[in-house]
Amino acid sequence: MTDVQQRNITKVLIANRGEIAMRIIRACRDLGIGTVGVYSDVDRTALHVRYADEAVHIGPPQPRDSYLRMDKIIEAARRTGADAIHPGYGFLAENADFAQQVTDEGLIFIGPGPAAISQMGDKQSAREAVRRNGVPLIPGTEAGLHDDDVIAAAEKIGFPVMVKAVAGGGGKGMRVVNDLESLPNALKAARSEAESAFGNGDVYIEKMLVGARHIEFQILADMHGNTIHVGERECSIQRRNQKLVEESPSVFVDEDLRERMGKMAIAAAESVNYVNAGTIECLVDKDKNFYFLEMNTRLQVEHPVTELVHGIDLAKEQIRIARGRPMTYTESFLKPRGWAIECRINAEDPYNNFVPSTGKINVFSSPKGPGVRVDSGVYSGSEISPYYDSMIAKLITTGDTRQEALLRMRRALDEFVIMGVKHNIPFHINLMNSVSFIAGQFDTRWVEERFTMGTYESGPTEEDLELVAIAATLHSHRRRQLAAQVVAPAARDTSNWKWLSRWERIRR
Amino acid sequence: MKYTTIINNKTFEIEIQRDGSLLVNDKVIHVDFLNLDTSLYSLIIDNRSIELAIDETDGITELLVNGRLFEAQVLDERALFMANRRGTLGVSSGEIKSPMPGLIVEVRIGAGDTVAEGDTVIILESMKMQNELKAPISGTISEVAVKAGQTVEKNTSLVTITPDE
Repeated sequence: MTDVQQRNITKVLIANRGEIAMRIIRACRDLGIGTVGVYSDVDRTALHVRYADEAVHIGPPQPRDSYLRMDKIIEAARRTGADAIHPGYGFLAENADFAQQVTDEGLIFIGPGPAAISQMGDKQSAREAVRRNGVPLIPGTEAGLHDDDVIAAAEKIGFPVMVKAVAGGGGKGMRVVNDLESLPNALKAARSEAESAFGNGDVYIEKMLVGARHIEFQILADMHGNTIHVGERECSIQRRNQKLVEESPSVFVDEDLRERMGKMAIAAAESVNYVNAGTIECLVDKDKNFYFLEMNTRLQVEHPVTELVHGIDLAKEQIRIARGRPMTYTESFLKPRGWAIECRINAEDPYNNFVPSTGKINVFSSPKGPGVRVDSGVYSGSEISPYYDSMIAKLITTGDTRQEALLRMRRALDEFVIMGVKHNIPFHINLMNSVSFIAGQFDTRWVEERFTMGTYESGPTEEDLELVAIAATLHSHRRRQLAAQVVAPAARDTSNWKWLSRWERIRR
Repeated sequence: MKYTTIINNKTFEIEIQRDGSLLVNDKVIHVDFLNLDTSLYSLIIDNRSIELAIDETDGITELLVNGRLFEAQVLDERALFMANRRGTLGVSSGEIKSPMPGLIVEVRIGAGDTVAEGDTVIILESMKMQNELKAPISGTISEVAVKAGQTVEKNTSLVTITPDE
């Protein structure tokens, strides 16, 4: 275990864009490591390109032609002499093939090994691996059973159950079944839907947890056999399976549950000999029973909340581990200190069904002051293009208590100025005012089923409206006056050239 | 100069007088309104200080104050006259435009159908998401300009709804 080969990293290529590329470049700068950014046609002016030491163009805007092109990215690393590649999240981050190719090239992949990625990437093999280490799974059946066996199993598990397609994704072939009578038809429908969508009609069932929370554990593992957990993140505030707010710690997790879930998370990671940073996602029911959902074999979007309450720099730790060093383990990693909340600021219109919004960000002025961190990859004048995800920034606040972090979040949201694209800051403001959120009472279905924008929004006062009306009027007035000055000369009956020569003749 | 400013369906009569003071719904108000940066403004009235980001596109003024976005329509006398004549004052448009470039996945209505405000009319795929575009007003579909499978640019007119009388 002690003769792990230590390798030097002097230059890292970041195979990503946006705020996560910025986050990794900053970690490299802290460590005195050189950085290489990559960019598509539309990202020439992106912040990560401006900030990286070197930048390589890798193709057209569509991800499949640029950020997903393994050959171009590896070629860019070779050309710039980078000795390591950090994949960020999304794009190639959980692609075992990519990790393998990078390693085959003699480069360091800053993340887990390809075997761990592929084992955790497949639902079925992930379940098998962690089960061997005694990790609890959501009760369900294996795939490939005959309908009669599935029905018998469902009776034992208890309703409601979820019918899922083995090859599934995006909710296709997925069905909620509330009683035994409707199960045979649901199975039939799910099989035919899966057959036509994925060419594979195999289904399985899973117990549906009611009122469950999404709680995940941060894992760190080095090549010297150390695997630790760095506490939990509460991620139940989501919409259409997309997380919107995350916090650490969770109001729902007491010391006993943290210890039990932490042990489980370490066992899950060890089941695939995991190395580097990863996350064990779980569902926790209202009786504090927890079940393994999946492992994300990369740095998470919401990693900053963990960093802030545990006093750790996860991106730096990833690089350290990739170099073959033992992780910088300290006691402070284990116990959360204070509270951190993250709001994902997306270019989505909360008043119009969260429709994404594209366009130029005319004004971007981020909040500042004590307990505020903003991770973003945009600036005033940059574009939100339709090619990539709609995240503009992550706003993270901290406090000694949850209440302090929450009050700071309210203040910071008020301070945040983003103009030019529609965004979900009003959603977050309403959320921070909602009684259930303040009390910590919510589950994964809460935003979709019980939260509406209207409930916590008080209309503006007469006085507010008058102030805004005055500002709008003065603004338009000035613009019209300016426009009048510009337009006036053209309103003359003759061309400016003729007019000028006449004017010159008069003066002569 | 006299303006009529409509915000949240409330109308303000605002006159900018020669000395720079304002007459707002017939009361005199002194203001200090400064432009700080491209779209950033500071307004002080009666010692109350507020910061705003203001942007004007297609006749709509967007104002962001303390995280809250307002949309205002500022009409001078001529524009007010025209709007009154057309009867379009304060009526939201029944035109649904594409909010971003994307692919039309599904068109749920046809010309002549009646829809209620909030009904899903079109599904547009963009940014890896399927987005439901909803009817802004109740009425009858007078025009459907796109069909499923078609890709559209931002601000393409997709559907027009004629409001109920």
